Amino acid sequence: MTTARRLLPLLTAGVAVVVLALVVAALPWLWDDDPAAAVLRVRYPERGFSAAALDALRAELDLPADPVAGALGWLGGVLTGDLGVSWVSRAPVAPSVLAALGVSLTLALAAAVVAAVTATALLAPGVWRAAHRGAPAGRGSAVAASVLGAVPEIVLGAVLVAVVAVAWGLLPSTGFAGPSYLVLPALALGLPAGGLLARMLSSATESALAEPWVRTWRSWGTPPATVSLGVARRAVATAVPQVALLVVGLLGSAVAVEQLFGIPGIGSLALDAVLAQDLPLAQAAVTVLVLLGLVLGGVGVLAHRALLGPARSGAEVSVGVPDTSGRARSWAPWAAAGVLALVVVTGLPRAPSTTVTERRLAPPSWSVPLGADALGRDLWARVAHGALLTVGTAVAVTVVCVVVGLAVGVGARSARAGVADVLNAVPPIVVGLVVAAIAGPGLLGAAIAVAAVGWVPLAVHARTLATEARASGYVRAAVLVGAAPGRIAGRHVVPAVVGPVVRHGLARVPHAALGIAALSFLGLGAPPDSPEWGAVLADSLAYVDRAPWTIAAPALGLALLAVVVALVRETRTSS
Amino acid sequence: MKPVGPARRSSRRLGVLLAVLGLALTGCFSTSGGDGGDGRLRVGLSFPPTSGLSPYGNEATLATRLGVTEPLVVLTGGTPTPALATAWTQVSPTSWRFTLRSGVTFHDGTPLNPEAVAGSLTRAAAATPTPRALASLAATGPALTAVPDGAGGVLVTTPAPDPVLPQRLASPELVILAPSAYADPSRPSPVRAGTGPFVLTRVDGSTGATLDANPSSWRGPVGAPGIDARFLADGAARANALRAGELDVAEAIPASQVASIAPPQRVSGVPLPRSVAVYLDQRSPVLADPGVRAAVRTALAPVDVAGAIYEGRADPAAGLFGPATPWAAARPPHPVTPPAPVAGQRLRLATYSDRAELPEIAAADADALRRAGFTVDVTVLESSAFEAQLGTGAFDAVIISRSQQLDTGDPVGYLASDFSCAGSYNQARYCDPATDAILAAAAATSDVEARRRAALAVEARVLAADAVVPHVTERARVGLGAGVTGVVEDPNEQFLVTAATHRG
Repeated sequence: MTTARRLLPLLTAGVAVVVLALVVAALPWLWDDDPAAAVLRVRYPERGFSAAALDALRAELDLPADPVAGALGWLGGVLTGDLGVSWVSRAPVAPSVLAALGVSLTLALAAAVVAAVTATALLAPGVWRAAHRGAPAGRGSAVAASVLGAVPEIVLGAVLVAVVAVAWGLLPSTGFAGPSYLVLPALALGLPAGGLLARMLSSATESALAEPWVRTWRSWGTPPATVSLGVARRAVATAVPQVALLVVGLLGSAVAVEQLFGIPGIGSLALDAVLAQDLPLAQAAVTVLVLLGLVLGGVGVLAHRALLGPARSGAEVSVGVPDTSGRARSWAPWAAAGVLALVVVTGLPRAPSTTVTERRLAPPSWSVPLGADALGRDLWARVAHGALLTVGTAVAVTVVCVVVGLAVGVGARSARAGVADVLNAVPPIVVGLVVAAIAGPGLLGAAIAVAAVGWVPLAVHARTLATEARASGYVRAAVLVGAAPGRIAGRHVVPAVVGPVVRHGLARVPHAALGIAALSFLGLGAPPDSPEWGAVLADSLAYVDRAPWTIAAPALGLALLAVVVALVRETRTSS
Repeated sequence: MKPVGPARRSSRRLGVLLAVLGLALTGCFSTSGGDGGDGRLRVGLSFPPTSGLSPYGNEATLATRLGVTEPLVVLTGGTPTPALATAWTQVSPTSWRFTLRSGVTFHDGTPLNPEAVAGSLTRAAAATPTPRALASLAATGPALTAVPDGAGGVLVTTPAPDPVLPQRLASPELVILAPSAYADPSRPSPVRAGTGPFVLTRVDGSTGATLDANPSSWRGPVGAPGIDARFLADGAARANALRAGELDVAEAIPASQVASIAPPQRVSGVPLPRSVAVYLDQRSPVLADPGVRAAVRTALAPVDVAGAIYEGRADPAAGLFGPATPWAAARPPHPVTPPAPVAGQRLRLATYSDRAELPEIAAADADALRRAGFTVDVTVLESSAFEAQLGTGAFDAVIISRSQQLDTGDPVGYLASDFSCAGSYNQARYCDPATDAILAAAAATSDVEARRRAALAVEARVLAADAVVPHVTERARVGLGAGVTGVVEDPNEQFLVTAATHRG
C-alpha cells in the first residue's frame, strides 16, 4: 500500500471540510440576505431595524466581505485551535458545539443499540429456523421490518410521550438530565432504524444462508446454534458499516425528535445556527459532524474487514446467491396494495382541502371514514389525493438513490471512507436548507435534498458487498485468468450487489417519504395545505393524543406503502 | 495488515466495545432540571436564550418573568406604579426626577444607589440597537441622560419633552442591574446582579437556568426556595412536561394542547394586547386595488378563527384592540369599502411556524379565499426566514401575531411602528399622511385619554383602508401544575413568577 493511498482519507477529509466551510459561508449570499440583519432578527424579533443598528452590528461582528474570505478566515482560526465566536451570543463556539455533540453522541449510540436489538429480534427466528431445518428465512419478519422502518420517528416519539410519560408517568417526557431521559427518544429513533437495519440484514442473512459452507456444516450435523452464529457473523459483517452510518446519521438528523423531547443536541444546534446565519457556529457544528462521520465511517470499514477476518485476505468468501425457487408467495403485500389502491380510488372523488369548522377533529364516521383533521378536512380525501404525490416523489427519489448508490458503491476503488461518509454526516435538514436556498422551497427542492443524502447508505451497502464479492473465489479466478476489470465488475460483482441494494433501496421508499416529511415541518417541503403525506403529518402531530386518527391516516398510508414495497421485492426475486 | 492472533484481536475488540458502552452509559447529560421535591419551582419557558438573559434584546423579558430583574416602575393597567422607584415627578418639560426605594440591595450585596441606577439607564440608552421603549427618543443622539440627584434620587433628561417617560422606564430592557453586571458592556449579565425575589445563579446556555430565592428581597419573604427553569422551544413538549407533572409553570401552551390539560393541571387565560391579523400589502400588484382588499376581507369574514382554531381560547376581533384594552370597546364606526368582483387573482399568503396556530389559520384562510374565487399560494416559514422576507414584496398578505404594548403600555407607539409611513414594522406597507399626522399629534400629548382616542382614530383609518384584517386577540395560555399559586397573570407578559409563587 503506497503512502499516497494511505493519505487519501486525510485528503478527502480536508477537502470536505474546506468545501463545507465554503458552502456554509456562502449561505447569506445564496439567501441574498445580510447576516447582520439575521442576527438582529434572532436577538430582537418582531422589531424592524434602523440602518445605524445594522452598521453598528456589522462593525462589531467584523463580517467577511465574501464567502471565500469568510471560510478561509474561519479555517485559519481552526488550524490554531480556535473554532470562532458565535455571532449571535458572542460566546466561544467550541464549548457549546462539544456539549451538544456529547448529548447527540449519547443519544445516537443508545438509539443504535435499540436498532441493533430490534433488528436481531426481527431476524433471529428466521435464521434459527433456516439453520435448523434448511428452510429459507421467513417472509413475515421482512414485512414486519418494512412496516417498522416506515414508522415516522416523530410520530413514534409523540405516541411514546403521550402513553409512557404522560399517561403512565413511567419515564420523563422532556429533558436530558440522566439515563432515564434517554429511553424514550432512543426508542423513537432506534425502532424505525432497527426496522430498516433488519430489512437490510435480511438480504445479508439470506445470501449467507445460501453460501455453501452452511449446507456443509448442516450436513455434518453442526448444532443449529453454531450455524446461526456463523450466519449471524457473516450478516453482521455486512451490517457493521451500516450501523456506523446509522450512528452518524442519527447525530445530525434527529432534529424533530430532539425538539419534541427538549434535548439540546447538535442537529438542533446546527439548524438554529444556519437559520440565524450564525456562520461560525454553523461551520463548527457541520465540521465536527463531518469529521466524526469520517472517523466512524472508517471504523465501520475496519470492523467489516476484521469480522470478515481471514476470509477476506484469503480467497474463501463465496458469495451465495439466494435460492429463489419454490417460495410460497405471501398474500400480505397483495392485500396491502389492494387496500391502498381502494383507498386512493374511492378517495379521489372526495374534496381534500375543503375546511368544515363543524367537524374539527371529527372521529371516523360514515361521512368521514378516516376522520377529519383540525380544520375539518376529510382525511380519506387527503390521503388519497396525497398518495400519488407522496409515493411518486418517494419512488423517484429512491430510483435516483439506487442508481447513484450502485454506481458509486461498485465503482469505488477502495473500501475507505469517502464523500459518502461526508454527506452522510451533514444533517439532512441543513442540506435541505442549502438546496432550498438554491432551488427555492418546494417539493422538488425537498426531493433533491433527500436524494442528495439518501444514496449514501446504498452506496456504502454496495461498497461493502462489492468488497466481499471481489474477495470471492470466482472473482479471484477471473482475475487470475486475466479478465478485464470492467468485465469482472459487470459479470461478477454487479449481480451479487444489485439484488440486495435494490431491496435495501425499496425498503427505503417510505423512508424517502419521511425525509421529505421532515423537511415539510420546516416549510421546505410541499406547501403546507398540500395533501402530501408529510405535510398532513406535520399538520396533525399536535393532535396525536386528542385525535389519533389524524396521525393514523397518513401513518397507515406509509405502512401500507412499506408492505407493498415488500411485494415488489417478492416478484422481483421470484421472476 | 500484520497478522494478529485471535486472542489479541478479541481482547482489542472487547476494549473497543467497553469504551463505546462506557461512553454511552456515563453519557453527556445536561444538568438542568430538578425533581421539584424540595418545593423548588420548575418553570418551562418558551424561547431559548442566546445571550445569557442579557437585558438588551428580547431575552430581557425572560429575566423579568423569572423574578430576577426589576425596572424602576411597573405598569398596572397601563399606569406606572412604584417598583424600584417609589415616586416620580416631572421637574421640567424634558426631565423627570425618580425617588429610589431605600434599603434595596442587589443580589451581589451591593446597594441600589443613584449611581448604579444612573449607570444602568445610561448604558441602556447607549446600547445598539436602542431599546425599543426608547427608540423614538433616539433620533438625535442618546435617548436620555441619567444623573444622580441628591441622596436617593435620579434625574432623567430626554432630548425632547416626553410625557410618557415613566411608562417607558417600565420596559424590561431598562431594568436596573448591579455595576458588576457590565463586565461585557454590550451584553450585561443578570447573574447575581438583579434586585428581584430570585437570584439567577447559573445559565446553562440555551438549555436552562438555576435560580435561588433572594433572602433579602425588598418585597419580603419569597414563597419558593428556588427555580429550575428550562427552555423548551416546542409547545407540545411544554404541554407534555406539564401534564407529566415535570413542570409547575409552563409558558405559552399551544391552543391545540389546552384541551388535553385536565385537573389538577390547568391553563390560565388573561386577555393579552396581542392581535392575530392578516396584513394586506398596499403596494402588492394585486392588493393595491382597494376593492380587491375589500373582497379579501369579505372572503375571510366567515373564518371562525377564535372558535375553530383557538377553541375559544382567544377573543374574536372587532378591530386591532381587544379585551385587554377595554377602552377600545368605544371604537367609532368606520367606512366600509364595497368588495370588487374576484376573477382568479393570484394571492401569495404567508405566515410562520413558530406559533402553532398560525399555519392552521393560513390553511383555513387559503380555503376561504379560494372559495371566494382567488388563486392562493401558501408559504409557511420559520420565523427568522419569514422576517427576512417581510417588507420585500415577496408576499401579498401575511398572517402575524403582534404585541401591541411594545413595553410602554402605549398604543400610539405600536401604531406608529406598524402603520406610519416610516414605521419600522409596517407589514402592510401602509402610508397615509393623515394617519401620520394623527400619530404625531398623539405622540406629543401626555393626556392618556387623548392618546387612546387617537389610537382608535388610527385603527378606524387602517381598518377602513383594509390594510389589516384582524382575526382574534390572543389570551395568555400559562399552564399551571397541581397546587401552584401566585403566578402573575400579566397582560404585558413582563412578569410571571414572583415572590408569592409557590406550590402546595
